Amino acid sequence: MSVFAAREAAAGTGSPLATLPADTSGADLWHALGAQNRLAGVYRGNDPRRGVDPAALSTLLTDVDRRFGVGSTLAVTVPLATCLPLLAHGTGPATHTLADSLDGHTVVALAATDEDSGCDLAALDTRVTFDGDRVRLDGTKRWITNATTCGAALVLARHRPGPHFTNFTWVLVPADAPGVRAEPAGTDLFDGSGTGHLAFDGVRLTREHVVGGTGRGLSAFAAHIATERLAGALWAVALCERVLRDTARHLGRRRQGGGVLWDREAIRQRWAGALLRSRQHRALTESLTEAVAARRDTAAAALLKASAAETVEHVLDVCAHLQGAHGFRTGGPQQLRAQAALFGIGGGTTEVVLDIMAETAPLAGAGELP
Amino acid sequence: MNQPFIDLLTPFLPNLGDRPLTEDSRLHDLGMNSMKAIDLLFAIEDGLGVSLPDEDLNDTTFATAGSLWAAVQRAQDAAEGDRRAAA
Repeated sequence: MSVFAAREAAAGTGSPLATLPADTSGADLWHALGAQNRLAGVYRGNDPRRGVDPAALSTLLTDVDRRFGVGSTLAVTVPLATCLPLLAHGTGPATHTLADSLDGHTVVALAATDEDSGCDLAALDTRVTFDGDRVRLDGTKRWITNATTCGAALVLARHRPGPHFTNFTWVLVPADAPGVRAEPAGTDLFDGSGTGHLAFDGVRLTREHVVGGTGRGLSAFAAHIATERLAGALWAVALCERVLRDTARHLGRRRQGGGVLWDREAIRQRWAGALLRSRQHRALTESLTEAVAARRDTAAAALLKASAAETVEHVLDVCAHLQGAHGFRTGGPQQLRAQAALFGIGGGTTEVVLDIMAETAPLAGAGELP
Repeated sequence: MNQPFIDLLTPFLPNLGDRPLTEDSRLHDLGMNSMKAIDLLFAIEDGLGVSLPDEDLNDTTFATAGSLWAAVQRAQDAAEGDRRAAA
């Protein structure tokens, strides 16, 4: 069945989110989704260990995108796609945090990006040192979704020097542990996402806060960031289709001459060109969903992320222009354009994912390359 | 190294060309980078059905075809031991 079929079947039904105000924060939205038992339903068999059910994830993201801002949608997407599946490979504190998170009680932040190294994760400086049954964490993470609202953060740290992918480990850090400090990022974008910076200064925890095994930090990140890239692709489909619908509605009402803007051939064609890009991205997403969700296909995930970023940028650019001055309203496509730039930056820049595509092209059957 | 392991490893080595893969073949020299090494780890776990233990997750394991094969064999032996113990 199509990954989008369930979403379309549910489109006409009343959403339990309809009672929440449009400016609901990501953290409050997470609490509400947990209370409605909708978080576990995103995973195959309601079990994050089995990975996401793409159709269920698509349905949820479409519902959230339709009703809330980009920041709040982002705040839900990251833990659903990445944090909870990562926690599912842990024990002890990770197991408890996962249960609390599925119930909506705890928001978990994914703290991967370091202060100085950005998306070059192999160069990050945040350190975890082991001393018997204890670990110590030191470092700073920047531009972390849910940083100011989380109950715990999954922190990617190095346990050995050097760039080798086996030198990194995930550590689950309670937000109230001594030595943890969160501060909001200085931005007006992403309202409701709790985006900010996290500092860890001599944070001491038990060794059972290591999640997924020592040395599995980057491989686990690669496996689960693939799911986050799939989630971004699904969200991009919902976002583009929503904005295209809103734009068509606007063009059908906006008077021009003796008719409305939609009557003008050139305007309809420009809108249809954006629709074409949206449909191409949707078709690509549909064709690669299973490869990412079931087989951890990092090349397919990179392709989806690049496609989502370029499609969202094009569709919002066209729709913002077609809506004219109306496009500058609060929450309109001009504001969305600025926010949606994150599709080309968050979770790996477009350049990073294009590089992955080039690296993996021979494996994907593109033949011998230079 | 057995043939299934060679067949699994070869696609991750773009610089191997027509040369035979030996236990001394250095993976980095044959084009293995971090991204490919992670995908290779997934392929080992999914394709061969073994999980490398944490103590074997280091650059020495991924240095040569032979060192990686030795780690895979250790993981396969450990898994077989677990199966026998459970039976």
